[in-house]
Amino acid sequence: MRTVFKNGRILDPSQELDVIGSVIVEDGQVVDLGEDVEIGEYDELYDCTGLWIAPGLVDLHAHLREPGEERRETIKSGTQAAAAGGFTTICCMPNTSPPLDSPSLVDFILDKASSPEAGGIFVQPIGALTKGQLGKELGDLAALKMAGVAAVSDEGGPVQDASVMMRAMEFCLQLDLPIMVHCEDVTLSEGGCMNDGPTSAMLGLPGIPRSAEEIMIMRNGVLALNTGCRVHFMRLSTWGGVEMVRQFKYLGAPVTCEVCPPHLTLTDEHVGEFDPMFKTTPPLRTEVDIDILMQGLADGTIDAIASDHSPYAPFEVEVPFEDAPMGMSTLESALGVVLTHVTAKNVLSPLETIRKMSTAPAEILGLDAGSLIPGKTPMAQLVLIDPNMEWVFDATRTFSQGKNSPFHGWSFVGKPVLTFCGSEVYRDSLFGEERYEHSLA
Amino acid sequence: MSRSLIAIRTMETAQIQELIDMAVRIKDDVIHDRKVSVAKRRTVGLLFFENSTRTRVSFEQACNYLDYRIVNFAGSGSSMNKGESLKDTILTLKHERLEAVVMRHRSSGSAQLAQGYFGGPMVNAGDGQHEHPTQALGDALTVLERKGRLDGLKIAIVGDVMHSRVARSNAWLFSKLGSEVRFVGPRTLMPSSMGMLPGEVHYDLRQGISGADIVMCLRLQKERMTDGRLSSIGEFRRLYQVNRATLKWAKEDAIVMHPGPMNRGVEVDDLTADGPKSVISEQVENGVFVRAAVLKWIFEEGGVS
Repeated sequence: MRTVFKNGRILDPSQELDVIGSVIVEDGQVVDLGEDVEIGEYDELYDCTGLWIAPGLVDLHAHLREPGEERRETIKSGTQAAAAGGFTTICCMPNTSPPLDSPSLVDFILDKASSPEAGGIFVQPIGALTKGQLGKELGDLAALKMAGVAAVSDEGGPVQDASVMMRAMEFCLQLDLPIMVHCEDVTLSEGGCMNDGPTSAMLGLPGIPRSAEEIMIMRNGVLALNTGCRVHFMRLSTWGGVEMVRQFKYLGAPVTCEVCPPHLTLTDEHVGEFDPMFKTTPPLRTEVDIDILMQGLADGTIDAIASDHSPYAPFEVEVPFEDAPMGMSTLESALGVVLTHVTAKNVLSPLETIRKMSTAPAEILGLDAGSLIPGKTPMAQLVLIDPNMEWVFDATRTFSQGKNSPFHGWSFVGKPVLTFCGSEVYRDSLFGEERYEHSLA
Repeated sequence: MSRSLIAIRTMETAQIQELIDMAVRIKDDVIHDRKVSVAKRRTVGLLFFENSTRTRVSFEQACNYLDYRIVNFAGSGSSMNKGESLKDTILTLKHERLEAVVMRHRSSGSAQLAQGYFGGPMVNAGDGQHEHPTQALGDALTVLERKGRLDGLKIAIVGDVMHSRVARSNAWLFSKLGSEVRFVGPRTLMPSSMGMLPGEVHYDLRQGISGADIVMCLRLQKERMTDGRLSSIGEFRRLYQVNRATLKWAKEDAIVMHPGPMNRGVEVDDLTADGPKSVISEQVENGVFVRAAVLKWIFEEGGVS
């Protein structure tokens, strides 16, 4: 079986490649690529003229909700959403019910993700850092590592006790297991439901001060610096946080960080008249924060863009703002948001955009993804992107069960139109039929 | 056509004026023992998720003036104790054909959310820390009676501004009508940035109330002592109590207001609360008339009197 992706703009940050050319896949593996590859005979051919050919997107941070919260999302619907969003590898967060703190749950997720009904992409479980994600006792991290988790995290219920976090870092250093941290001092954020600022004051909503995030970035950065454990900061939202990460990197701490599309595009003013679609954690901040987050992306302080896909059932969101859950369903809009509001504004080049959304996240957790180098990944993972396609995101028509998107009705330029993970796993209805030729029975 | 009263913030000045005018006429009718004319006898639901005897009774009495029928829903013993969502409770009332709902709820923004599900006229009787529009309207009527106008005045709102829906509604109302608003209180009870909220912030009582025509005290809740924002009632009293000594900093003819229920000896001392400058009882009385005006206004566009 020989598949040819012909005459596209190949963007592969893993080999600093940005050329017009073709990619050849044989039996699910990339075997050749470049400007003057031999097309030869083929079983199927995608005409990629005018399209980008990139390694499939890699998401460091998605919530698939299974087991226990299938009303919000399932591994099936979540992986289908990811494939439609251009992702071929996604990391799923451990705050399920029960939390992902045992090898059997890791097996359960890997089984479900590889079933024929699922989206056909890779799911990389992230294990719980502490038992039951309660922040008190370390989980059986060696067992989790052996079961296949790529990192551990307590996600939205972050470890408050500094001594627990320090022991966790010492142990994870020994296991060579990165810790992904959501930075929030809950003594400062408790009760809050949006950024502490003019809008919260006006609406009479309890605010979350930026200090809640920055203090924990500081603590975790200091612990990473002094223990040597690899720490990945999740979803930065404040300008101060970016500056702190910059300093920790300068000091040689083994830290990386991510930002999520909503924090690059939305501010607390979008909460408007109590719209729960704009409630997330950390909360949406201000224009100044967006500016510095963009700068951080451009200068490399921020390594990756992650979706923080957090689907909820409709009834959970149809409540007063204070009672609404925090998070947004984002897998299917992430690339559109980034191409339109980051790449098109020349914050990132096309190649750097793919680096932040594919190669860098794969490198941060050492995943077999994010590259088109022949033999580098066990299966060819790539995405075709139409950089000029204008489209309107309709949150009511997503594969994800979570319709809670702040981007419903937004216009984007640039869309993933075909996702390939060993074989084709998603093809957009707007992907022209004339672009596909095959000699298959 | 019907309309709702959700927040002073989103109202036009002319609408505020219209409501106050209606309240003045209704008060005149009631005092002269005339029947208040309404286009139709309506059925109104009073839905109080938070206990508030004062405001509920005020709305009930307002309905009596209008000869409306009342359906009462109390916090306890109702379906929301059984876990029903706000959405489903409101949809139930809608399909039981209540013509309007007056709602008090602990969450900011709940009034607007509920209005969306109800479809018909909704009156916000206090939503979280957001707004309490009928309180502000009653306060405005009281000021109008005492000062003869609502513009060109200086009003100092003193105390726990951060957690006060009364502060927000009054700030919007008085600034929209052309008066100068000042917020006075400790930093721990003041939002970190006031943003669009119209008013000048003062942390010092003397500066804050100097030259004020109106000194409005806010209720200090006991939980402020347990959530770490204040060390003691004594600390608050030392810095922010409105009493005979501190009131000297305001204008000679200043009036003292309080939305109730009062913590006598905390925000305001006894002598001031019961003294000649206090208009606290008038606020209660006028609260009923403005609520009657609101319940008429929501059904009668154009304000036919």
